[in-house]
Amino acid sequence: MNLPKIHSITKKLFVALVGGFLLLFLLFHMTANLFILRHDDGQWYSDFCHFMGTNWVVKIFEIGLLGFIALHILLTIWLAVTNRLARPVRYHQPSRSKTHPGSKLMIWTGILIFVCLGLHFYDFYMVKVGVVKGEYMVSVENIGKAMQEQPNAMFDEEVIGFLDKIQKSGQLSMGSDMIHHLTYEDKETLKRLLPGSDPEPDFYYMTREKFSHLHIVIGYLIFFVIIFFHLMHAFPSAFQTLGLNNYKYNPIIEALGKIYTWIIVLGFAAVPILVYLGL
Amino acid sequence: MKFTLHIWRQENARAKGHFETYEIDNISADCSFLEMLDQLNEKLINDKIAHPVCFDNDCREGICGMCGLYINGRPHGNDDGVTTCQLHMRHFHDGDEIWVEPWRAKAFPIIKDLVVDRTAFDKIIQAGGYISATTGGVPDANNILIPKHKADQSMDAAACIGCGACVAACKNASAMLFVGAKVSHLALLPQGKPEAADRVKKMVCKMDELGFGGCTNTYACEAECPKQIKRQNIARLNRCWIAQAFGRDRRED
Repeated sequence: MNLPKIHSITKKLFVALVGGFLLLFLLFHMTANLFILRHDDGQWYSDFCHFMGTNWVVKIFEIGLLGFIALHILLTIWLAVTNRLARPVRYHQPSRSKTHPGSKLMIWTGILIFVCLGLHFYDFYMVKVGVVKGEYMVSVENIGKAMQEQPNAMFDEEVIGFLDKIQKSGQLSMGSDMIHHLTYEDKETLKRLLPGSDPEPDFYYMTREKFSHLHIVIGYLIFFVIIFFHLMHAFPSAFQTLGLNNYKYNPIIEALGKIYTWIIVLGFAAVPILVYLGL
Repeated sequence: MKFTLHIWRQENARAKGHFETYEIDNISADCSFLEMLDQLNEKLINDKIAHPVCFDNDCREGICGMCGLYINGRPHGNDDGVTTCQLHMRHFHDGDEIWVEPWRAKAFPIIKDLVVDRTAFDKIIQAGGYISATTGGVPDANNILIPKHKADQSMDAAACIGCGACVAACKNASAMLFVGAKVSHLALLPQGKPEAADRVKKMVCKMDELGFGGCTNTYACEAECPKQIKRQNIARLNRCWIAQAFGRDRRED
């Protein structure tokens, strides 16, 4: 197979540029995750998810993001294979040279992150797309609107029976205009009976439910230890590859890299810990 | 001092190599690593044990770049900023086991034992080509003004002796520090500017073609360079690469 000829530095430039975009995205994602910590019945977080799921600008970004993640992975694997081939016979003694922290593990931490990202996609993105079953919610307001659109629904026994069932199971929490904890079957029934009611995945309660299990919390924290090592090297490395590196800025870039990494890791890790502790 | 040496022996480029173990005694702490190998070779010849161990060396004062051995997991051994010929046995402990390997890279095939063919570096320099220089009378010393810091940085980059320790240390066998130094010492000076874009393009293309790996910013090269060439030269190489990629095609000038 003849692969297109792209020079090693060009490949790295793309990895760095895409990586830089992903670094910015992580900050954004972390800020959104912190909304889960608010005890507002998911008001802020759900509004945010609703915006992310419906805004067309976000949808374009979403396609770009998925493409960038794929490009980052493909290019780094391609580079790793070429780099491996550059030394067909390995040394007998392990290297004792001083190296930048995390730098030698990039491809391995990267692969682990990719695997964890797969799980993350299965748990959340696939639910959003509708491939995997999750937990759903619907706003009372939307149900009201849908009822007005279909006046016959008020006399439909099936609709009345279903709304009664939801109410009886206590899913309508006090002081909220949202009905939470709907199952996939409930959602499908609701969509069939009242198409305008627009039920959405309930990521707030799904996340809170997941983080109530200790093994998931521990797994999530291990995931961020791996991300910590990846980011520690990634941030200054992107600057070096883009040539934005000199004697004057190096200490600043290194320091910014450490601050960025700690903010990201602590920001993400705070959510499962505080949710598990019920704070 | 007494040492146990595990030395890579390989008859030629195609033969299969292996480690051979030799014991050596009565080594002065002040002798260099290469002098210690000389004594080993004398012993091997006099006692008719084996053929002498082949290793590259020339000036033995750290400026020619010929010597280069991978000693106990570090190119040029466990001292910073020195070549193998300047590494002294006082940096080891009496009774130490020492593993000696040749540089390992696809672009540096083994010739014999610890000797590798570093012609690849020459090819990269050749690909870089010449600089344009006016002929005629001797120019005035102040004709071209060069800031001191630029001259210093250029000189620091030009200190590269092309020993190949950067390639040997790099987990990807990448020659980016070498190419970075060679591109930098000309790119920093006005005399190197006319061909700067062409030079970086040709040298990087040659580097890729010869089978060196890519840089993953591990900086093992910087840690092991006997001339302490800095990673900033790799950043400059990247900058020059971007500049030439987005610059005008020089044939249109």
